[in-house]
Amino acid sequence: MEQAGNPLKLTLYIAGQTPKSVAAIRNLERITAEHMAGQVEIEVVDLRQQPQLAREHNIVAIPTLVRSLPVPVQKIIGDLSDEQKVLVHLKVEG
Amino acid sequence: MAAAEPAQMEAREADLRRRLAEAEETLRAIREGEVDALVVRGAESDEIFALGGQDSYRAFMEAMDIGAAALDAEGRLIYANSALCNLLGLNAAELQRQSIFDMLGETAARAVSALIDEADGHRRSRQIALPCAGGHCHVEVTAAPLSLGFGHGCALTFTDVTERIEAAAAHESDRIGRAIMASSNEAVVVCNQDGHITHANNGVRPFHDGSTIGKPFDVAFPLDFALSSGLMAGSDLIGVALAGTAVRGVDATLTKDGRTRDVLLSAAPLRQTGDTIFGCIVTIADVTERRATEKRQALMVGELTHRVKNTLTLVMSIAYRTVAGAKDLADFRTAFGRRLEALAATHTLLAEGTWDGLTLDELINAELAPYVTVGSERVRIEGVDVRVVPDTAVALGLIFHELVTNAVKYGALSTETGRISIRASPKDGLIEIVWQEDGGPRVVVPEKMGFGQTLIARGLGQHGQQSTQVDFRPEGLVCRMYVTAETAA
Repeated sequence: MEQAGNPLKLTLYIAGQTPKSVAAIRNLERITAEHMAGQVEIEVVDLRQQPQLAREHNIVAIPTLVRSLPVPVQKIIGDLSDEQKVLVHLKVEG
Repeated sequence: MAAAEPAQMEAREADLRRRLAEAEETLRAIREGEVDALVVRGAESDEIFALGGQDSYRAFMEAMDIGAAALDAEGRLIYANSALCNLLGLNAAELQRQSIFDMLGETAARAVSALIDEADGHRRSRQIALPCAGGHCHVEVTAAPLSLGFGHGCALTFTDVTERIEAAAAHESDRIGRAIMASSNEAVVVCNQDGHITHANNGVRPFHDGSTIGKPFDVAFPLDFALSSGLMAGSDLIGVALAGTAVRGVDATLTKDGRTRDVLLSAAPLRQTGDTIFGCIVTIADVTERRATEKRQALMVGELTHRVKNTLTLVMSIAYRTVAGAKDLADFRTAFGRRLEALAATHTLLAEGTWDGLTLDELINAELAPYVTVGSERVRIEGVDVRVVPDTAVALGLIFHELVTNAVKYGALSTETGRISIRASPKDGLIEIVWQEDGGPRVVVPEKMGFGQTLIARGLGQHGQQSTQVDFRPEGLVCRMYVTAETAA
């Protein structure tokens, strides 16, 4: 389990209010609240507003969640409705 | 070329594997529909493309004029279109920050919450009032279940039905207004700002032939106003009402087909919201009958007062004269009582005919009935079907009373064989009434004039066009009276 001093840094790339973007935000809020409260720093990037930010993490499909810290960088593509898959990728045990 | 370091080779291979896995994962996610937008790299900038026609669907949602919102299962706002933002007077960001229920206001929020609870898998609608920019608007809210990528939510639509409700209310009040107009017995017309008639009920028919719609009020109803009303023409009345003052009970006359009617007018302004006057409503009541009755009543009250005064004077006169001729109190009581009864009999007859006068026949019957049977062998009448005016009737009644009591005491009726004839006939433009006694005791001219003779001689006074003549024939008394016949009513 990650320690409070070494938090997860997550970036969620969305495209305005597409259904999967909206769903991804909701699912991420729920998962982080339930499993990693206080240990995670989340940034939501709307690529409709700032498409140039897609290059930083080489984003192709939306929605995509990027774990930039701790390294190595991990990506989860989709609306994050598969909670177990999300937890495995983020290496957080429930 | 130097052989690459094994460690570098491994790292590069690992990176390539990772990128391959990432590419495969991206393709899988796209293929399996886990994404709904893609980043397309352009020469200058990257662009975002939505998959599955979401953009066009969203554009449609934004374009429609019905307010729409999607809520999650907890009632949090996921999406609101621009029509809803406009309806609530907020932009999308403000709506996202605050709870939609806070924006709706307490009453509407409670109604929408209840609607969502009721919907529970079905579609439900309800009309609510929402606070909005121009006060309150009426909105039809529909809640329907909505399947979302992360669970279930609720789709809300807000259809502004304010205009529809206001139109329905206006239609309803218009219908009520027409019903009121139609049910009124009076003539009711509505004029526009130019004083032209726009509505009229059936009550106007007695005042105007054909349709009044579109005509100026003045032209449709040629009115003459009483000087005291301060109005010169119908247009003045309309002008006063259009200026915002209600006028009630203005007297006027209206002449149509040569017949003049008394009418009572009222006018009041018609106001729209915001106090704008857009016309006026005028009622015209035909009060011809009422005015005639009022005049008749006033006349009758005057007439009655006059008669009461005359009667009291007459009673005083009868009392003095009776006292003068009475032997004792008992004699006075009998004579005075009978004279008053004679007076009362005439009055009763007159009152039954509401003071319209009566016929000689009626009068003679009333006065002679207590003493003798009129029309029998002993009392013959002829030509007495003549109407006389009330004042003449009172005087004649008293005279007949004196004649018949004299006849009973001293004349034709004091014996078994005496007879009386009463004849009325036209003579020199007057009616001559002749009372003639025969077959009674021999008549002697009295030495002094009692009340009876005074009354007989002078009783008709101003009502007799020619003085009464009393002839004391030895074989029987003859009295000739002259009256004016009442013009046939």
